[in-house]
Amino acid sequence: MPSYTFEKLDDYRWQIPKTGGMRVPARLYATEPMLEEIRSDDAPQQAINVAHMPGIVGASLAMPDIHWGYGFPIGGVAAFDPDDGVISPGGVGYDINCGVRLMASKLQKDDLDRQDQERLVDALFHRVPTGVGSSGALRVDASTLPHVLRKGAPWAVQQGYGSDADLNVIEEGGQVDGADPDAVSGRARERGLDQIGTLGSGNHFLEVGYVADIYDERAARVMGLDEGTVTAIIHSGSRGFGYQVCDDALQDMDRAMNKYNIELPDRQLACTPIDSPEGQQYIRGMRCAINYAFANRQVMAHNTRLAFENALDLTPREHGLRTVYEVAHNIAKFEQHRVDGRPQEVCVHRKGATRALPAGHPLVPGRYQKVGQPVLIPGDMGRYSYVLVGTDRAMEETFGSTCHGAGRKMSRRQARKTAGRRNVTAELANEGIIVRGESGRTVREEIPEAYKDVADVVEAVEGAGISKRVARLRPLGVIKG
Amino acid sequence: MAPSTPDWLREIDHTGDVGLRITADTLPQLFERAATGMFSVLTDLDAVRPTDATAVPVEGRDREALMVRWLSELNYHHTVHDRLFYAFSVDDIAPTADGLRLSATATGEALDPARHTVHTEIKAITFHGMEIRETPDGWTVQIVFDM
Repeated sequence: MPSYTFEKLDDYRWQIPKTGGMRVPARLYATEPMLEEIRSDDAPQQAINVAHMPGIVGASLAMPDIHWGYGFPIGGVAAFDPDDGVISPGGVGYDINCGVRLMASKLQKDDLDRQDQERLVDALFHRVPTGVGSSGALRVDASTLPHVLRKGAPWAVQQGYGSDADLNVIEEGGQVDGADPDAVSGRARERGLDQIGTLGSGNHFLEVGYVADIYDERAARVMGLDEGTVTAIIHSGSRGFGYQVCDDALQDMDRAMNKYNIELPDRQLACTPIDSPEGQQYIRGMRCAINYAFANRQVMAHNTRLAFENALDLTPREHGLRTVYEVAHNIAKFEQHRVDGRPQEVCVHRKGATRALPAGHPLVPGRYQKVGQPVLIPGDMGRYSYVLVGTDRAMEETFGSTCHGAGRKMSRRQARKTAGRRNVTAELANEGIIVRGESGRTVREEIPEAYKDVADVVEAVEGAGISKRVARLRPLGVIKG
Repeated sequence: MAPSTPDWLREIDHTGDVGLRITADTLPQLFERAATGMFSVLTDLDAVRPTDATAVPVEGRDREALMVRWLSELNYHHTVHDRLFYAFSVDDIAPTADGLRLSATATGEALDPARHTVHTEIKAITFHGMEIRETPDGWTVQIVFDM
């Protein structure tokens, strides 16, 4: 049984006080009915473990979609002092810069009949490789890869995939500085050559949907989201390249921890001081993976447009598919925040958590300055996804962060058992959702019931005031790994 | 997993996402069986033929690190070089200056999409709850994969 207790701060905030070796308290954002499910996992203990790490400031934070992850919980946020804090690959995750892009078109839901829907999903399935080890959308050679790793999405735009208009509405403009291709292993580079423009497997997906509900008219209008607007969501990351960067760094750090006298309750929290050689090497390599993921999604976005053109026989002007915003939800970055009332640079780890900047923040693109940074929260493939915006409260309390998705509640094995012999694809087709999956097993593992209801997750972050609902999207078609 | 799951292998539920509990008579056999267990999660082993062998040397600072490195190395050959392994032979586990070294051979063949199904992708072999224990009956370990 868990050895911790949650102290209720208010209806949406729970605190595990500082005890033993904890340097800060752990704080969870959730509604009371969500607590039982959250407790059934080891995730709250993982949030406590993170609170033990050197240089952590404020609190070890857990979003309402928290569930078990490697070392850090998924749905975890932790900020570290750059001078005496640590950097931890487990605080970013294996899929470095996994993230979500939302695109909106000029089309209305009623413009698409069932046949169009099927043709569109087939065209996406054809254009965007999916599944275990998917490859081949765009192969680069070893001399080109370093350009991808340094330049990210702008590299893809230079090659003719999309336009500058996309870059303005991607977190960090689709590229971070300080990426050093020499800081990653030959294995990582080898894995990066043929996976640009590929979706991968597991919970990654590309979904066509439409705007079903609007909660904030003004913000929705600024984002170009009207009721019925046809949308596309791309959820993917840095593929095998990112996994390898993470794996290499974990090995290095597991060996180096003794040298820095870091002792932690969980070996998976392997970390080293930010300014150590191992920490710096990971940061330079992680930034390569961040840029790789930005390029990957940019190429997929371009191929999504081509699928709309081919399947629906439309010109780019006619479908008008443009990027609304793209967020990262597995990332570590140096950002300005207030710690104990004073402005300070901190290294924020977001693992299964999304940056959520308020209106007026200098890093919010011009067109969203008055409404706040769009936050994209995908749900399971049968229900709905949300568009939110960041708030001032998120800046005050959560280092400008919020939730990232629904969060699993069933293991994959349990999900397969629940799906049994059901024809999940036919069930979803009956509800008007066309699903194409490389593997029937993945589709069964990803059944809607395997996930928490993302509406509950969003209710908790809105109730807590760390983001605000703008719109809800419903799916028309999904491609899965 | 195939209906013919052997009694030394148990799949355990874990949200993050598949776990295995393995027992064996000896430590080298524990490493061999852990590898068999991992490939039974990835594919249907009955369809894999032992056509060629790959030498897999790994090092780790203790037994648990050695297990993580061993399975990670095999998963690397699988994901990057499209290998499916069927049989494993651990020749030696020996101490080094700062830990342990394992020498082993993995036998299998190249992935052939016409004959093989790959069920899933293992992102990582985790240290979560991993403890290699010697029991009165032999050895045991629990391994959780990050999927």
